[in-house]
Amino acid sequence: MTSWIQNPSLMAATLTTWLPFSSFLLIILFTRGFRRLSAGIAIAAVTGSLAGALFLLVRNWGASQPIHFAARWLIAGDFYIPFGFLLDPVSLLMLFLVAAISFLVQVYSLGYMSGDPGFSRYYAFQSLFAWAMITLSISSAMLQLYVFWELVGLSSYLLIGFWYEKFSATQAGKKAFVMTRLGDVSFFLGLLLVLVHMGNLEILEMNSPVTAARMHPGFLTLAALLIFGGIIGKSAQFPLMTWLPDAMEGPTPVSALLHSATMVAAGVYLFARLFPFLSQSAGAMAVFLAVGTVSMLLASTMAMVSRDIKRVWAFSTISQLGFMIMGLTAGSLFAGSFHLSTHAGFKALLFLCSGVWVHLYETNDVYEISKNGGRRLKIPMVCLIIAAAALSGLPPLSGFFSKEVILGALSSLKNPIWLAAGLLGVFLTAYYTFRVIFIILFPRQEVREEPTRHGNEIGFVYWTMTLPLIILAGVTVILGFLETPLREFISAGTVNLQNGEFAWLPYVSVGLAVSGVGIAWFEFGRRATAQIGFVERIPIVRELFAQRWYLDHLYRRFVDVVIDKVFSKTCTKNEDRVINEGIDRFCRFALGSSRLFSLLQSGKLRYNLFVMFGALALVALYFLFS
Amino acid sequence: MIVPFGHVFLLAGLIFSFGLICLVAHRNLIMTLVGVEVMMNGAAIAFVGAALRWHLMEGQAFMLFILAVAAAEVSVGLAIVVNVYRRTGSIDPDRYDILKG
Amino acid sequence: MTVYSVIFYILAIVILVSTLLAITRRQPIHAVLYLIVAFLGTAALFFLLGAPLLAAFVVILYAGAIMVLVLFVIMMFQQSLRETGLMPQWGHAALLGVVFLAVTVAVVFKDPGSAMVLKGAAVQPKDFGRFLFDRYWLAVEIVSILLLVALVAILQIAKRRGAAGDEGEKREKEVHP
Repeated sequence: MTSWIQNPSLMAATLTTWLPFSSFLLIILFTRGFRRLSAGIAIAAVTGSLAGALFLLVRNWGASQPIHFAARWLIAGDFYIPFGFLLDPVSLLMLFLVAAISFLVQVYSLGYMSGDPGFSRYYAFQSLFAWAMITLSISSAMLQLYVFWELVGLSSYLLIGFWYEKFSATQAGKKAFVMTRLGDVSFFLGLLLVLVHMGNLEILEMNSPVTAARMHPGFLTLAALLIFGGIIGKSAQFPLMTWLPDAMEGPTPVSALLHSATMVAAGVYLFARLFPFLSQSAGAMAVFLAVGTVSMLLASTMAMVSRDIKRVWAFSTISQLGFMIMGLTAGSLFAGSFHLSTHAGFKALLFLCSGVWVHLYETNDVYEISKNGGRRLKIPMVCLIIAAAALSGLPPLSGFFSKEVILGALSSLKNPIWLAAGLLGVFLTAYYTFRVIFIILFPRQEVREEPTRHGNEIGFVYWTMTLPLIILAGVTVILGFLETPLREFISAGTVNLQNGEFAWLPYVSVGLAVSGVGIAWFEFGRRATAQIGFVERIPIVRELFAQRWYLDHLYRRFVDVVIDKVFSKTCTKNEDRVINEGIDRFCRFALGSSRLFSLLQSGKLRYNLFVMFGALALVALYFLFS
Repeated sequence: MIVPFGHVFLLAGLIFSFGLICLVAHRNLIMTLVGVEVMMNGAAIAFVGAALRWHLMEGQAFMLFILAVAAAEVSVGLAIVVNVYRRTGSIDPDRYDILKG
Repeated sequence: MTVYSVIFYILAIVILVSTLLAITRRQPIHAVLYLIVAFLGTAALFFLLGAPLLAAFVVILYAGAIMVLVLFVIMMFQQSLRETGLMPQWGHAALLGVVFLAVTVAVVFKDPGSAMVLKGAAVQPKDFGRFLFDRYWLAVEIVSILLLVALVAILQIAKRRGAAGDEGEKREKEVHP
C-alpha cells in the first residue's frame, strides 16, 4: 500500500474525508463558546473538502479503471474489515456533489442561523454530517459504508431535533431515526447474507460476476431485497415514507442539505453503487420498480394538498427519489445518477429560497407567505421559479434533460404501464410545483407591512444567503447541457442501455408539464379564483392525501395492536405467569417440603425412639435379604 | 441335652421384641425404662445360650457386664426422670417438646 | 424330650407370659412387679443353661436392687401419674416388633448351626471368677469406673435445689437483674 502522502489521489481523498471530522471535534471540544470561530472552522474544512473533491474529479475524469485504496481496520483472526476509498465515476460525482452543496449550505447558514443560541453546535453537526456523507460516498467496502450510513442517520437525527426545546422537533427526530433504523436492520441482514456467501463485502467484488457464480439466485434476490429495505428507509420510499415530511422541523438549510440533496439521496446512491450487483436479480428489480413508482405517485398526491411549503418540497423529494429508482431499475445507471445530480441542485435551491421567506416571516404556510408579500423579494422569487421549472421538467433547464433520460429508459421496458406512470408523475409534479409558485406570486390579500425580522437588510447576512441561491440557479441552468460528457464519464466501463426509439417522448412530456402548469395557473394564478385545487374540492380525496394516505395511522395502529397488545402483553404475561410464578412456586415448594420435614422434629421422645429402632429394623432386613 | 440352640435364640428374640414394643408405645417414662430392662433381659438370655452352645465362658462374662451397665443406666435414667418430673410436674414424654422443630 | 427341655419350655412360657403382662399393664407398679417375676424366671433359666453364679446375680441385682429402685421412684410421683393409658399407638410399635421378630426367625432358620442341641454343662463359680479376673480384669475395672461415674452423675442430676441451689439462684439474679 502506498504511503498516503505520496499518492496525490489518496492524499486528496484522505483530506477530503478527515477535514470535516477534525472540524467537528474541534468545535465540539473547544470552540463551543466562540461562534464565529466555529463557523469559520467548519466552512474552512468543507472548503478544503470541496477543493479535494474537485481535484479528484478533474484528475480522474477519464480514468478507465476505478481506483481502490484499502487498509485493514479491524482484524479478527482470518477475517478483517477493510477501510478504504473506491474512486470510480459514480462515487466521484457524488463526492463532488455532496461537498459542493455542503459548502453552499454552510455559507447560507451563516445568515440563516445567525443569532441562534446553538450556532456552534449547528456547525459541529454540519461538519459531522459532511464527514459522514463524504466518506460514505467514497467507501470501498459495504461494512464501512454501513457505518457511515448510520452516522449520516445520526447527524440527521441531531439536526432535525436541533431546536430540541420544541417537542414536535424531538418527536420528528425520533421518528426519522427509528424509521430509517428499521430499514437499516433489513440492510444489515442483506449484508450478512452476502458476507456469508462471499467472505467479504468489497464493493468491487460484489459488483463483479463472481457474486453471481457463488451465490444461489434465490439468495441473491433475497439479499437484493433486504438491501433495498435499507434504501426504502433512508430514501423515504413506500412504506417508510412518513418520516421525511416530519423532518422538516429542522432548520431549512438542514432540509436543503440532508433531506433533499444528499442524505436521502444516499439510498439512491447506494443503488447506483451496487447497480451491477442488484441488477443481477430480475425479480428484485421488478419489486424495486414497483416500489419506486408507488412512492412517486403517492408522494405527488400528498404534495398536491399541502399548505406547508417545506412539506411540499419534502413530498416532492420522495417523489423524485422514486423517479430516480424507476430510472435505475429500468436498467440505466446513467439515468438515475444524472437525475440525482440535477435534483440535488434544484431541490436545494428550492429549499434555500423557501428558507429566505421562512426566516423572514417565521411561518411555513404558503398562504401566509404570500399574504406577507413574499413575492416582493426578487432574487429568491426568480430563483424559485427557475428551480420550479427545472423540477417540472421544462426545457432548457437541467431537470428537463434528466427527466428525459429516465423516461427514455422507462420506455425501453416491455410493459407500458411504467412509462404511463412516469408521465403521470411529470404532470402531477408540474401541477403541485406551480401551485405553490402561483399562490406566492398572486396573493389574494396583501398585508403591506414590514416583515417581522430584520427586513431587507443589505450586508453580510443578506449576501451569505443570496449568493448560494445565485450559484445554485446558475448550476441548474447549465447542468443540463453537460449531459453528454457526464454520460461518457459515468458509463465508462459499465453497461450502457439504449434509450427507446420513441422520438415523440420529449414532446409528450413537455406537453404534460406545460398542461400541469396551465391547470395550476387556471386554478391559482388567475385573478379572483378561490385558489383551491381541483383535488381539494373533493373532501374525501383531500382528506386521503392530507392524511398521507393514512400511513401514519396504520403505523400507529400497528404499534398499538401488534406490538403493544399482542407482543408486549404476551411478554409481560410470560414474565409474570411463567418466570416469576415458576420461581415463586419453586420457593414455595421448598418451603413446604421443609415444613414437611420439620414434622420429624416434633421434639417427642417416642418418635425419636421409633425412628431409631425403625432404622435398625431396616438394617436388619437388609442383612437378612442380602 | 436340653433344647436346640435356635429355640433359645428365638426366646431371646421374642423377649426383645416385647421390650421394643413397650419402649415405643408407652407414654410414661417409667414404662420406657421398663422396656429397656426387658430388652436387656432378652439380650442376656441370648448371650448365655450362646455361651452354652460354644462352650465359651466369654458369653457369661459379657452377661455380667450387661448387668452392670443395666444397673448404671437405669439409675441415671431414673435420676433424669426425677429431675424432669421436678421441673415440669409430668412424666409424659410428649409434653417435653421444647425442641420441637 | 428330656426333663431339661420340658423345664426349659415351662420356664420360657413363664418368662414370656410375665413379660407380656408387664408391658400391658396400666399401672407402672404392676408392670414392675410382673417384671420381677420375669427376672426370677430368667434366673431359673440361667441355672438350667449352666450359669449358676449369674443366676444368683440376676436375682440379687436385677430383681432385687434395680426393680426395687424403680419402685421407689414410682412411689415418689403423684398418685395421678401412676396410671397410664392402655398403650396408645401400639400399632407402630407392633409393626416394629413384628419386623424384628421376623428377622430373628429368619436368621434362626437360615443358620444350620441353630439346630444343634445344647448339651448340659455348668460353670463353677470359682472357675468363672478365676476366668474373669485372669482374662478380663481390665473390663471389670472399667465396669467399676462406669459405676462410679454413674454414681456421680446421679448425685448431680437428682440433687434437689437445696442450699447450694438457692445460692446459685441468688448469684444469677445479681448478675442479670
